[in-house]
Amino acid sequence: MATSVLIGAWVAAGLTLCMFSFLYKDNPFFRFGEHLYVGISMGYTIVRIYYDVMVKSLYAPVTQEGKWWFLIAAVLGLLVLTRFIPKISWLSRISFAVIVGFGSGVAIPRIISSNILQQVQGTLRPLLGNNGQSLFGMAQLNALLILTGVVTVLVYFFFSIEHKGPIRGMARIGIYFLMINFGAGFGYTVMARMSLLIGRFDDLILFGSREYGYASLVLLGMISFGLFMWERGRTRTEPPPD
Amino acid sequence: MRELAGKLLRMDRRVIFILIALATLIPLLRPIGFPIRISPEVKRVYDYIESLPPGSVFLLSLDFDPASKPELYPMAVALLNHAFKRDLRVIGMTLWVTGTGMAEKVVSGIANEYGKRRGVDYTFLGYSPGGTNVIINMGQDLAAAFPTDHYGERTADLPVMRGVTSLRQVNYVVSLAAGTPGVESWYVYGKEKYGFELGGGVTAVIAPGLYPFLDTGQINGLIGGLRGAAEYETLVGLKGKAVAGMDAQSATHFVIIGLIVLCNLFYFLTPRIGLRTLPGTRSGSSESR
Amino acid sequence: MTLFLRRTFPLILTFLFGVAGALQYYIPHPVSEAALTEVSVWLRIILGFAMILGIASLCHVHYAKIRIRSAGWGYSLVVYLSMLATVAVGVWSRGQEEGTGFGWIYTYTLLALQGTMFAMLGFFVASAAFRAFRARSKEAAVLLTAAILMMFGRVPLGEYLAPVAGPIAGWLLNVLNTAARRGILIGISLGGIATSIKIIFGIERSYLGGRD
Repeated sequence: MATSVLIGAWVAAGLTLCMFSFLYKDNPFFRFGEHLYVGISMGYTIVRIYYDVMVKSLYAPVTQEGKWWFLIAAVLGLLVLTRFIPKISWLSRISFAVIVGFGSGVAIPRIISSNILQQVQGTLRPLLGNNGQSLFGMAQLNALLILTGVVTVLVYFFFSIEHKGPIRGMARIGIYFLMINFGAGFGYTVMARMSLLIGRFDDLILFGSREYGYASLVLLGMISFGLFMWERGRTRTEPPPD
Repeated sequence: MRELAGKLLRMDRRVIFILIALATLIPLLRPIGFPIRISPEVKRVYDYIESLPPGSVFLLSLDFDPASKPELYPMAVALLNHAFKRDLRVIGMTLWVTGTGMAEKVVSGIANEYGKRRGVDYTFLGYSPGGTNVIINMGQDLAAAFPTDHYGERTADLPVMRGVTSLRQVNYVVSLAAGTPGVESWYVYGKEKYGFELGGGVTAVIAPGLYPFLDTGQINGLIGGLRGAAEYETLVGLKGKAVAGMDAQSATHFVIIGLIVLCNLFYFLTPRIGLRTLPGTRSGSSESR
Repeated sequence: MTLFLRRTFPLILTFLFGVAGALQYYIPHPVSEAALTEVSVWLRIILGFAMILGIASLCHVHYAKIRIRSAGWGYSLVVYLSMLATVAVGVWSRGQEEGTGFGWIYTYTLLALQGTMFAMLGFFVASAAFRAFRARSKEAAVLLTAAILMMFGRVPLGEYLAPVAGPIAGWLLNVLNTAARRGILIGISLGGIATSIKIIFGIERSYLGGRD
């Protein structure tokens, strides 16, 4: 095994355990890991912006392909940074106007088409028993349930009219649909968080093997000892609570 | 009973942490290997790749960062294995800046396993800022969005890109997404106008939100979370990280179900003994306010 | 004149770019397609600069902490040192990660730190489930039942113990969940379109920042 991989495994295991130490309580190991994470991700992003935007999308097209008009975009980009200079910060509005204006304009027709029209079409079409299906099958029952759900959820979110009488009844059904959706969301969130945990534990088990010099186990011991000493130091310096 | 229930409800949360840690660790160390059922939405992604003739263009957008690696990296491994096995031309990219290193590693790593040549059989375009703008840009002119690939080679000159000037010539796009920009962006700003077929592979957190798109056929298939990745691994005959993690997933879910049942059991048993207002419990403190 | 440049000109720009962006979709003429290509390239460049804005403000926060030696300023020093080291190694490696020091930093530090930061949420989700996930009302009971069905039916052990659990979870996702999500999606989309129109017509101006 290459030395860089071995050192890397010890570093990764150590940092993973530093972060996990928060489960005991907020402590200097966690704080160190947390700030290291912020610093490294900022540094990483700077490097990527430099190579993927400045070099790849700006410098190369301007110098190699003569696309000088890209410099206008660069000037607009620089204007964004005037936000830091109070006297001329208004200049950044020009760039934001282009970004926000174009973004809003481009979004309108696309969202109407894909998130509204096609969703409405997808709700109604199965009810018509297309493709030669029976009008009274399981598919139609499901389609009817979906239609009921969509309409009642929209009624629940429609606050321009008072929720009373039949509207109240529909809104109540909408709430139950929403609750099922939130329940499914919670179940899947649990699944996601546990998957992440499995991923990290998987790495710790790997780094805890003999091949890696039992890195996880040794570092677990060291961080536990460090936490013990930190806790002891705190109890000596801090007065006991009333 | 009152005392026991009170103690359990007030127990240190670190006891629960230990329970979860054990439920994760033990199955990882001593796996059982329960069978994994394949869901239709995952099978549809597999079937579509199976139906593509060799040489078809497959674009894999790895739209996630290290935070979602355990869920989406195994999906990427399984999909790339499948694509290279089928001799598809593979184009990798990412819309998430901190995902670049990971995305490059998985694309080139699996390609090397199959002896594929960079630039000829596959390429990794890298990262470009702008999210939805990158998708529009690629739909209009792919070389304008990525003038060079991640390694500095001119995109338009790469043999793997022959005949591909925009997203219109891509046969299948799969976005492995942990949020926005992700699958929905690829649909709204990409497929809607440029007409390629689109599949999704997403973290479990956002998977339920994509079922409306699956229902309308706006995405042709969906791989959701580690479970979805395990299903895809099973389909391609790969015993990867996702399949290995399924027993731990089962165990942790059952521990949490157990905790919820226990919590509710106390909640329903306690009115008679007045535990609902016990100081220190959530309901006790909220009701006393 | 200054007021025009400061307030009216950005609003005119927003209107022009907004209307052009929306109309372009319905006019697939080669000229409008070429314009869309060009503007989308420009926006990528501008957004690249905008990312610097975020980084710079984080740097500013930590610099202030170091300057006044506020509590925990040493950690802010860690932020600066690790950022500078990553940039130095990244430039030394010419932004390439395969077999370089930059790739090493990414694989063994960033992956581990960010991965663990989010993995910890697993523990807190479990703790919260035990303390707060109660069937206090009919609605909460429905939510709880759906969550349990989903957690049970979407893992191999659940399907092994009760083979019907998988299809039930699948039906919940594909039918009832889809119905609610579609309602939410349509609602959010309508709201988004309304906001976009307000931005284009200068009714919503908060993105401009500042007073005048």
